[in-house]
This record gives sequence, C-alpha cells and structure tokens, in this order.
Amino acid sequence: MYAFVTVGSTRFDGLVQRALSDAVLDVLRAKGYSKIVVQCGNSEFDTKSYEWTGETWVRRGEEHIEVWRFKPSLQEEYEQADLVISHAGSGTIIDVLRLRKPLIVIPNSTLLDNHQEELASTLAQLRHLKASTISELPKAIESLEPSGFVPFPVFDGSRFREMLDEEMGFA
Amino acid sequence: MVSVALILLFVLSCIVLRLISVIRRTRTRFSDARPTPPKTCSLAVFLGSGGHTSEALVLLSALDFSRYSPRKYIYSQGDILSAKKAVNLESLKAPECTSHPVHSTDATTPYTLVSIPRARRVHQSLFTTPVTAARSLITCLYHVTIAPLLSGHPFADVLVVNGPGTCCMLCLAVYVNRFFGFHSPKMIYVESFARVKTLSLSGKLLRPFVDRSPSCRFVVQWPELLNDGGRGECRGWLI
Repeated sequence: MYAFVTVGSTRFDGLVQRALSDAVLDVLRAKGYSKIVVQCGNSEFDTKSYEWTGETWVRRGEEHIEVWRFKPSLQEEYEQADLVISHAGSGTIIDVLRLRKPLIVIPNSTLLDNHQEELASTLAQLRHLKASTISELPKAIESLEPSGFVPFPVFDGSRFREMLDEEMGFA
Repeated sequence: MVSVALILLFVLSCIVLRLISVIRRTRTRFSDARPTPPKTCSLAVFLGSGGHTSEALVLLSALDFSRYSPRKYIYSQGDILSAKKAVNLESLKAPECTSHPVHSTDATTPYTLVSIPRARRVHQSLFTTPVTAARSLITCLYHVTIAPLLSGHPFADVLVVNGPGTCCMLCLAVYVNRFFGFHSPKMIYVESFARVKTLSLSGKLLRPFVDRSPSCRFVVQWPELLNDGGRGECRGWLI
C-alpha cells in the first residue's frame, strides 16, 4: 500500500518532519504501507538519513521511502495512493476527496489567518475526511477507518454555469 | 515614487467622490441596455495561485467555452504554475469548442494569458505594500482601462475573481471604468470553498462594493457566511 504526504506549494516544516519521524513511519509500516512518499514543497527537514539521487531523497536502507519537493501535477500520486496525508489547503482537499481517497489533514496553525482549521473541522464533521494535529498524527493513522468516510459529492458544474448564463443573458 | 503616489491619490480620490453615485445605480438600467441575448461573451478570470487558481479553473470548466469566448487568464507575475494550469484547461476543453460554431471574430485566439504584479507578496512588510500595490494597480489600469481605449476592444464582458489581494486591484480598475463611463465588465466574486465561517480579506473588502453594485454578484459557498444579514448569495458548493 502507498501513503502519500503532501504540503502542496507551501512550507510546512512541522508536518514534513513529523511525517518522516519514527513515530509516523512505524505506524505506517505497521498498517501495511510499504511505499511512503513525502512531497515537501519548500519545507526543511533533516536529510541526514536520506540520500539525494538527483531528483529525490531516498531513505538509506529503505528505498520505498522517498522525499521530493515539487512535481507539475500531484494528480497521479493521488490516484495511486491508498492514503493521503496533507496540509488542509482547499485545492488538495478537493482533488483528493473527488478521487474518494482516505484523507487525513493537518491544518497549518502557523499561518497568520488560519482558515485551514475551519474547513478541516467542518469537513471532518461531515465525515468526508479526518482532521488531526502534528502531535496526534500517529494516533490518527492508527485509528483510521477508511470505510467510515462519507463519499464527497461529485462536481456539479451546473450551479455556476446557470448563475453566469443568467447574469450574461444566455438563460 | 512621488508621481506614482500622486497618480494613485488622484485615482483613489476620484473613486471615493463618485463611488456612491456609481454603486447606487440600479441593476435594471444595465439589463435594459442589452435587450437581445449575446451570441458570445468575453470572459476574464483572475488566477490567484494555489487553491484560488484551482477553484477558479474548476468554475470555468463548467462553462460552455463556445459561449464564453475569447477568454483572458490573468495571473500573478512569476506564477507559471497557474498559467500552465490555464493552458491545460484550454487543451482539455478544445475539442468541445470546435464542435460548436464559434461566432466571435477572435476565434483564432480563443484565449490569452496576462500577468500582473502582485499587490503584496506573502510575508511582505506592510511598509512596502503601498508601493507594490500601486504598481499592481497601474498594470491593472493599463489592461482594464487604457489598452481597451487604445485598441477599441473592451477588456471583457465579465470578470470572475475569487481572491486573494491582487484581485482587489483588478476590481478597482473596473470601478475606474465605471466612474468614467467606459465599458466595464460585470463582476462575479466567488468566495473560496475554504471560507466556511469567516470571509477572506478580499471578500470583506469587496463585498460592500461588489454586492451593491449593478452587474456585480457576491457569491459564497457556505451559507453561514450570510448569517450576518449582509447581502450576497449562496447556491451551495460551486466547485
């Protein structure tokens, strides 16, 4: 199984460092995630146990654990992943939930205007995803029940289309 | 620097003086002005990077591109990713466009990309913000007001924005057009899906104008945002 951790285009040292900690890696391995990829964006982490291969950092002795900064599109990773752990950016949340993938989000509490928390807790209440914190992440992974999620509604483009058509005199 | 400040001051004072009369015009005056439905309608959208860009492009993906043509994608300088995402959407929608007859005379160039300087970079000091904001506004005025006057081609019939900060500069330029009675686009402000209980700063700033103006709509995606009794509309999730 494949666990993908992403911070998008942001910097979120706390999440990246936690995801690469023994506490999180151990629980992921125990849950059967043999492949673990961390997309770290502009975040900093301790590279001492990792080897730079020219494109990615690979964990010494465990080539299925790797870290990289950016790719033009993360869509392919979302599609392949069995679990996504992410910052609570709305773009990532929507992309992952539309694929009906289990998602754990960690709002970035260091942001000045912390609206990530708002969206994360609301969607968690609706049981579309699980919201957690950096310290609680291992526990969140441990207790994850993918069958407990409510499927996210499919995209309904008609609402915006009708609104604009109406406004522009097409309706 | 002084001249930039003076230009900005002049523009701002014009707007402040006349804004009240501009925003009080009724909606009907504008709809009366266009008795027959248009064949096509030019559209401009601001791609505010990251989640803002994703959401804006999802909104656009729902539209009939043969109807909304040509399209103008405005992105922040240096935000190549947003520009690439726009090109990607265009290539995905291309088969759909060619299957319909395109009435626009600009059919050969169905879309353009325009970059504008950011009003304020993330973590930028508040002291230097007026300078970058003024530079951003001047570029917006060029694209929205001056270039259309010189070329005779209006900026757009409708402008879709969803934040962040730089979109306020575009909206300000649109108000300059209204103030002088130039062709100005209708404006649709769609608050981000991420805003559940509190409006974004752009939303708070633009709501009093966008919401009470003719041909402007202020749209949110979570009904709680309208609980304060302020105007605006919610039709549920748009993305």
